[in-house]
Amino acid sequence: MQPEKVRSVFDTVYGGYCVMVRIFCLLSALVWAGFAPAANAQTVGFAEAIKILSSSCGKDIETYCKSANLGNNEIGSCLENNKSKVSDQCNVDRARVSALLEARFAAQAAVPKVCERDSRQYCKGMKPGSGHILKCLLKAEKVVGKDCNQAIDWAGYR
Amino acid sequence: MKISNILLGAVVASALSVTGAFAQTKLSRNEIVNSLQGAQEKVEFSADDLRKQAFEHIKRFPGDNATEVLPLAAKLNQLRQFNVEVTFDFDSARIRPESYETIGVIADALHTPYLWGAKFFVVGHTDAKGDREYNLNLSQKRAEAVRDALVTTFRVPADRLEAVGLGEEQLRDPADPDGAINRRVQLINVGY
Repeated sequence: MQPEKVRSVFDTVYGGYCVMVRIFCLLSALVWAGFAPAANAQTVGFAEAIKILSSSCGKDIETYCKSANLGNNEIGSCLENNKSKVSDQCNVDRARVSALLEARFAAQAAVPKVCERDSRQYCKGMKPGSGHILKCLLKAEKVVGKDCNQAIDWAGYR
Repeated sequence: MKISNILLGAVVASALSVTGAFAQTKLSRNEIVNSLQGAQEKVEFSADDLRKQAFEHIKRFPGDNATEVLPLAAKLNQLRQFNVEVTFDFDSARIRPESYETIGVIADALHTPYLWGAKFFVVGHTDAKGDREYNLNLSQKRAEAVRDALVTTFRVPADRLEAVGLGEEQLRDPADPDGAINRRVQLINVGY
């Protein structure tokens, strides 16, 4: 895990400016365009993502969504229904937040496949389920391959 | 840091000013993971047992405030758990936007392999102000709102979480029944 990478994505995606290497600017542009960067990119945690919704849309949520709750996409559909009234910043960021959540889900879904060979090699005979194999891969970080370690980082599993 | 966070883990039941609410203590994912993971006594009661017990407790020991502890309280206290502060609208189960991040941190914790497979009760508590049965129902709805957000917005597997409202039946500080310390959402690891 390289903290400066997290930082760079964070800055480019959230700061709206691009100061880091080109690949991260590109990533930022993809997120902006509404494409989830799937499983091949750094992602941010759920807390970091949803925090953007409260800071950019909190005021609009309090104005237009007084009876909507966070679960069951109530806030999402309320903001969508009121998109002509909510702030521009909120309209931009609510799409961004959805993309960030999707990116994290995709990164999590990608782990079993990316780590398949490492699991067979280093976590042989581990009982599947309940995170046993992943916990084994986490412990074996030093010998686990780069791609698998990276997939684990991007999934937020470490 | 651990201690201060735990002490601050209270649910603020009424609407706070937005500026005030942003001053919440920063929760950390690993702190939640560390508090919740680990060896577990076998839990032999269900979420439904607990809900029923709280309801019956009010009938059995009526009065403005509970005078006896819940029979299952001692067992609950032995389980791995963590208290968080979630702010709701006054008299409502609507989670306020300033608490979205807190729900996200819980989701980040529940998604780590360290807690995979474990099941949790999401337990809502109120302070002792107001009617006990009303508080029981409100806390159940609030616990369900937190569970709904975790399961739908953050895709924590639904079979890992059960919502339980205990109202004012299990005060954290019985010496200060109306105190904010009693208002909280508890995550309790109930094993596999």
